[in-house]
Amino acid sequence: MEKWRVLIHGTGDAFTNMAIDEALLISGKPTLRLYRWKPSAISIGYFQSMEEEVNLEECTRQGIDVVRRITGGGAVYHDERGEITYSLVCPQQMVPVRILDSYRLICTSLAGGLGVLGIEAHHAGINDIVVNGKKISGSAQTRRYGNVLQHGTILISVDVKKMFSLLKVGPEKISDKGIASAEERVTSIEREVGSVDERELMEALLKGFQDVMGLSFHEGALDTKEREMAEEVRKKYVSREWNFKR
Amino acid sequence: MKVAGGKLIKCRMTVRTGIIVNIKLSGDFFMHPEEKIDELEEKLAGCPLDEKHLRNICSPFFEGVELIGATPEDFIAVMLKAHRRDN
Repeated sequence: MEKWRVLIHGTGDAFTNMAIDEALLISGKPTLRLYRWKPSAISIGYFQSMEEEVNLEECTRQGIDVVRRITGGGAVYHDERGEITYSLVCPQQMVPVRILDSYRLICTSLAGGLGVLGIEAHHAGINDIVVNGKKISGSAQTRRYGNVLQHGTILISVDVKKMFSLLKVGPEKISDKGIASAEERVTSIEREVGSVDERELMEALLKGFQDVMGLSFHEGALDTKEREMAEEVRKKYVSREWNFKR
Repeated sequence: MKVAGGKLIKCRMTVRTGIIVNIKLSGDFFMHPEEKIDELEEKLAGCPLDEKHLRNICSPFFEGVELIGATPEDFIAVMLKAHRRDN
């Protein structure tokens, strides 16, 4: 079986991160990419309105980038230290035809990876991974050029108060009671098993994909074409026209 | 409007004399291919805001896209609800 490429990208800004994911989608080489966001950022779903979802004034004050994804779904706060993002790209024929089935397969692989760390996680709903009913990960998928891109966040630690200060949530959610209630609905790796070394986390996630999807990996890098494509599409992610298009 | 699939659909529109002048649909749903949403909004501009006309546009449109987390009926319901709320 063809070996998949793993890209361990460390940190990047929101626009570069989204540009690389799109460049990978265009390229279609079977790839799993793991990365973080620096500075911390909010990404919104393709169909969301930036102004309706994001407290832009607060983001500016706190130095948080904002970007629109090419995938649907909801707004996500990507904390510089509190989460890891994965993206998986491959030709469509390498995952189930039904989008819901492919969510299940990929999310089950991620849950398996969390299982390696001792976290009993499983796929729930359309695109979530939960631990004892609490959300630890959310994903979004798109299909273009005959390829699939699914990317998503895995919470390492969670600061609900900060997250709600950056997103436009109702006053009831921002209250102490609202924050306490949200804290009961989400969890994180640290909350479940304490601090985990980043390398250990990444290896656990790879193991999940090996066990569930039968993949094997080699560590690689973007090729020249992908790098050039990422530079080109980054212009879109920086633009007001894209980020505020709805 | 929160829909049964668990997702949220929002609708902003300008309506004059019962006709949609322009409309923006937003939310955390999934639609594949994504850019088709622009086509739907263009088709809805000029449409009388009643169930029959909305259905005439939405039914064929949604046959050509895959919706996840919401249904075509949800979109129609959101538009009608937004209109009722503003009148």
